[in-house]
Amino acid sequence: MEDEHEPTCRPNGSTSTGSGDDISATNAPPPPSLLQIVQKKFKDNEKVHSIFEAYQLKNQEHANRILAVVSSLSGGTYAIISLSIVRTPIRFPTDLTCTNVFPLNESFQILVDGNKGFKSQLKFELLTGDGKPATFYYYIMKSEKESLFFDDFYAQIVSFKMSMSDRHLSPDFELSYVWLNDYRQVGEVKQELKNRESEYTVYNNYKIYCATWNVNDKSFMNSNMNLWLSCSTEPPDIYAIALQELNNSTEAVILKDTRLDPAWIRKMLDSVHPDSQYEELRSVRLVGLLLTIIVRKGLKAHISRCRINSITRGILKMMGNKGAVAISLQLNEGNICFVNSHLAAHMANVAERNQDYNIIEKDLMFDDDQRHIRDHDHIFWIGDLNYRLQIPPDIPASWLRDKNNPFEAMLIHDQLLQERVQRNCFVDYMEGDIKFCPTYKYNPGTDNYDTEKMRAPAYCDRILWKGDRIEQLAYNSVMEMRESDHKPVYAIFNVKIKTRDEKKYKRVQEEVLKAVDKRENDNQPQITVDTTVIDFGVVTFNELAIRDFTVSNNCPLPVNFQFRIKDPPLNAICEKWLKVDPHNDTLPIDTERTIRVKLLPDVRSIRGLLKKIRTTNLKFDFDTLILHVENGADKFISVTGSYQPSCFGLSMETLCRTDRPMCQYSQEDIKQLMNDVTPDYRVTMPREFFLLIDYLHKQGPKLVGTFQTDKPQLPLVGNFNLVRDWLDTWSEDPFPGDAQSAAVALLLLLKLPEQPLLEPLVGHLLESKSKAEAMEYIDILSAPKRNVFMHLCMFLRVGIECQYYELHQVASVFGRILLRSKEYTRGDFNTRCSEVMMHFIGPDIMDNPPLIGNGGGNVQVSAQFLNTS
Amino acid sequence: MAKKTYDLLFKLLLIGDSGVGKTCILFRFSDDAFTSTFISTIGIDFKIKTVELRGKKIKLQIWDTAGQERFHTITTSYYRGAMGIMLVYDITNEKSFENIVKWLRNIDEHANEDVEKMILGNKCDMSDKRVVNKERGEAIAREHGIRFMETSAKSNINIERAFCELAEAILDKTSGRESAENPERVVIDRKNNDKAPGYNKCCA
Repeated sequence: MEDEHEPTCRPNGSTSTGSGDDISATNAPPPPSLLQIVQKKFKDNEKVHSIFEAYQLKNQEHANRILAVVSSLSGGTYAIISLSIVRTPIRFPTDLTCTNVFPLNESFQILVDGNKGFKSQLKFELLTGDGKPATFYYYIMKSEKESLFFDDFYAQIVSFKMSMSDRHLSPDFELSYVWLNDYRQVGEVKQELKNRESEYTVYNNYKIYCATWNVNDKSFMNSNMNLWLSCSTEPPDIYAIALQELNNSTEAVILKDTRLDPAWIRKMLDSVHPDSQYEELRSVRLVGLLLTIIVRKGLKAHISRCRINSITRGILKMMGNKGAVAISLQLNEGNICFVNSHLAAHMANVAERNQDYNIIEKDLMFDDDQRHIRDHDHIFWIGDLNYRLQIPPDIPASWLRDKNNPFEAMLIHDQLLQERVQRNCFVDYMEGDIKFCPTYKYNPGTDNYDTEKMRAPAYCDRILWKGDRIEQLAYNSVMEMRESDHKPVYAIFNVKIKTRDEKKYKRVQEEVLKAVDKRENDNQPQITVDTTVIDFGVVTFNELAIRDFTVSNNCPLPVNFQFRIKDPPLNAICEKWLKVDPHNDTLPIDTERTIRVKLLPDVRSIRGLLKKIRTTNLKFDFDTLILHVENGADKFISVTGSYQPSCFGLSMETLCRTDRPMCQYSQEDIKQLMNDVTPDYRVTMPREFFLLIDYLHKQGPKLVGTFQTDKPQLPLVGNFNLVRDWLDTWSEDPFPGDAQSAAVALLLLLKLPEQPLLEPLVGHLLESKSKAEAMEYIDILSAPKRNVFMHLCMFLRVGIECQYYELHQVASVFGRILLRSKEYTRGDFNTRCSEVMMHFIGPDIMDNPPLIGNGGGNVQVSAQFLNTS
Repeated sequence: MAKKTYDLLFKLLLIGDSGVGKTCILFRFSDDAFTSTFISTIGIDFKIKTVELRGKKIKLQIWDTAGQERFHTITTSYYRGAMGIMLVYDITNEKSFENIVKWLRNIDEHANEDVEKMILGNKCDMSDKRVVNKERGEAIAREHGIRFMETSAKSNINIERAFCELAEAILDKTSGRESAENPERVVIDRKNNDKAPGYNKCCA
C-alpha cells in the first residue's frame, strides 16, 4: 500500500508553515507537518488556513476529524472541510478523506450556544443551508502543535464569514463555491476512478450547429428557415437556435413573458437538416429571447443533465427586452453551455454592452449545482451582441455601405474585436474569421442597408466559443432571408466530447472496487488477544477468583474496543457472577492492555449460575464475553472452569438426593442431581439443614438478636466460608461459627435456591383464607420441603416461646424468604407473608397439635433422618 | 453528505457447523484465495465486497460466524440485522447436513422474518468423500422454499454466483419495497414459496 504514496510531501511554497525552513541544510527532508499534509489534499490555488482537531459520535463511537479551514483563490470563498482519518500516523494525503463540506456562505452558522451548555460539553454544531446540522466535539487538549485551540478556531471562522458577507455586498466581487464540488461526496471509488480517467476516456466527434437571428418582432412562421438551418453537408447532432426580438410588445416586456409557443418549435424542427430525425431537447424564452436546443433522435439518452436559466438586462436592468437565456447540458462526460444574449443597443453604448456581458457571465448560474457559464467544458455564446462598426470621423459614413469593401477592412472598426483585444469582454473566447457582410441593418424584404434611419451597418449578430477540442467548420450569414432588419447567422462546429468507453470503464471500475474493498478489508481495525479461553479451574461458592488476559493492537490504526452488551434479559456485558475491567478502552498502535476478569459465585449470583449449570446442554462455560472492536470484528472470549458444588443454592429436594458430602460432588454430578425429578429421596430432610437447626437449637439464649432481617449483610464475613465447608464436608468437628453465623447460613440455605421453599404453592398460600386451607397446601408439598418447613416452624416456635426473638419479626423475615414471589404484585405482600407464617408459628397453633397427619411430626422426622445417616 | 461509494448496503451472514468451510467461502469471495489450513473462527469476522447488480453498486458486508456449538447461543444475536443468510453444510459430513434443520429453526427464531436464505453444500470438489448427494440438498431447499447451490471454495465453484444470487434476491425485495411506496406500480408478492430457486444471471 505504501508505494501508492508520493515519497515525500513537499510543502508548497505559499502555504508552508515554515517549520521545515530551518532544517533545510540537513540532507533528509523533515517529515511533513499535519498542516502540510492537509494542504496536499487541496489544489495549488486553495489555501489551508488552519486545522482543528475534533471528533464526531457515530453510534456512540468516536470518529476523529480534522477540520480544515480552506479558501479558494479562484472562487474567493472560504469553507470548512471535514477530513476523516483513514489511518494513523497521518503521513500522506491519502491517509485522510474528505467527509463533509461546509461552505462559509450566507446560511452558514457555527453554534456554540453557551445557554445550551455546548461550551461546557466541548461541543459545537456547523449549519449550512442544506441538510441537518453536523455536531462535533473536541478535546480540551490538542495533540497537534499546529492545530488551533477552539476559541481561536471559532474566532477565525466568524471573521472569515464576516469578510465574506462584506464582499457579498459589493457587486463587483465574484463569489463561487463551485470549487467545493471536488470535495463533496468524493468517496474513494469516485476519486480513484477520476484518477484513472484517461484509461477509459475517449473523445467522440459531435457536430454542433449554432444559429442566431434577430427577427425584429416579425413572424418567422412563413420564412424559409431551412436556408439558415440546413447549411451543413452532414446532418448536425445538436442545434442551438437563438432568436432575438421575438416579441418586444410592452406587455411581454413588463410581464417578462417566458411562455413558449409550440408552433415556433415545430417550425424549427421542420427547418433543420432533412437527412436526420430531430427532436427538441429544451427551450427557454425571456420576452424577445428564445433559445432552443434540438438534438438528433437517440442523443437524449446520452444527455444526463439539462438546465435553463435567464437574466434580465433591459430597461432599468430589470426588463426582459435585453439580457440572456442559457441552457446547460451534459453530453456524455462533457458539459456544454449555450448562451443567447441580446446586449445593450446603440453605437455609443460599448461600455454598457461590456457590462451586460460581464454581469451575465458572473451572475447567470444553473441551480442544480451552482454552475456558472464558465464552469463548462464547451461554451457557445450566440446572439445579437449589438457591437457596431465605429469608423473614425475622417472616413465618410457612406464608406461602410459599400458592399465591395473587403470584410477585413471593415472589421478593423468592429467594437467587439477591439474590446476583446483590450480584454473588456469575452476574455479567452474565440471567434472565427468573418467572411460575410454586416448583418445589420437592412430594409426588410431587401438586401439593402437601412435607408430609413440610415443606421451604420454592423456585425451585431455573432457566435463565439470557449473551450477545448472545438473546431469551427463554417461561419456565415444568410442573405436570402429578408423578413427582418437583421440577417441570420450560423456557425457549425466539430466538438470532441469527452466520453466514457463503457467497456473500459467497467473494467477500471471493477479494478477500483476490488482495490478499494481490499483496502477497506486490510485496514479493518484489529486486535489480538493472548487467549480466547479464560480457565478459572475449580470455583467455589463465595470465593473470588481472578484471571487476566491481554489485548494488543498490532494493526496500523488506534483501536477502540469494548465488551458488547448482550441481548435481554441479560442487558450487560457479562453474567452476574463475573466482573470485567475495563469495559472499554482505546489502544494506540503497538500497545496492549490487561483485562481483569473476576469470578465470584456469591449470594447475588449463585441462583443464576446453578440455573445455567442445570440448563446448559453443551459444554459449560461460565460465560462468553464479546470483545468488540469499533469498525471491526468481534472476538469471543470463553470464560470456563468448573463449579465446586456447595449446599447453598440447591433445592431441598436436590439436597435430599445426596449420598455423600457436597464436596465430593462434581459440577456434572450436581447437574444430574438438579435435573432429577424422581421422588426417590435418600433422607427426609437435608442433613445440612438438620445440622444447622440442631446447632441453633442448642444455642438457647445466644439466639437473641438473630433473624432480624432476611437480607444478610454482604460481603459475608470471614467464618462464613468455614461454615460452608463444615456443611459441605459433613464435618464431625465442632461447628466453626457462632449462633449468628449459623443463623445467616440457615437463612441463605433457605433463601438461595431457585424456587422458594413453599413453591409451587406460594400463590395459593398467599391467597389462602384460613389456617386450615394453608395447612392443606403445606400437606401437598414435596416431602423434603414439607419436612424442612415443619421442622423449621417447630424450631422457631421454641425460640419464640423462650422469647429469643419476637413472633412478628420472625414471621416477617421467614415469610418473605419462604414465600418469595414475583407474581404476587399486590401491596400487602409483606403482611400476607407474615400472616401465612403466623398460622404455623403463632401461639394459637399450639392449641392444636399435631400439625400434620402424613409425613409425621418433628420427632419422627429426626428419627428417620438419623436412621439413614 | 457522508462518504458513500455504493448505492446499497446489504448485510449477509454465514452460518453452519464448525468446519464446513464458511470462512473459506468468504475468503474465496472477498480475496479470491484459498487456504487449506483450518483456523476455527472464535467470534464474528466480516469482510466487505462491492458488486454491481443491475447497474447498482451494492456493498456486501458479509459476517462470518463461529460454528462451534458452544457459541451457538451467542451467535444468534447477530442474526437480527442480516438481510441474507447463507446456511452452509459440508457434503462430506452427514451431521452438518442434518443440522441444517437446526440452523433453519435458529433463523426462524432469531432472524428478521423477511431474511433471504440460501443453502450451500460446500466442498463439492471432494466427490470421493461425498456422503450427502445433491438431491438431498435440493430436496431440503425445496421443502423450505429456499435457494440451494453446491459450492467449492477450494475449486472456486459457484462462490461468486451464490453471493450475487442472494444479493439479487435481496435487491428484488428492496425494489419491491420501493415500488410499494409508489402506488402506481403493482407490487409483486415475493413470498411465493413454491417458486423454484432462481438461477438468474450473475454479476461476473
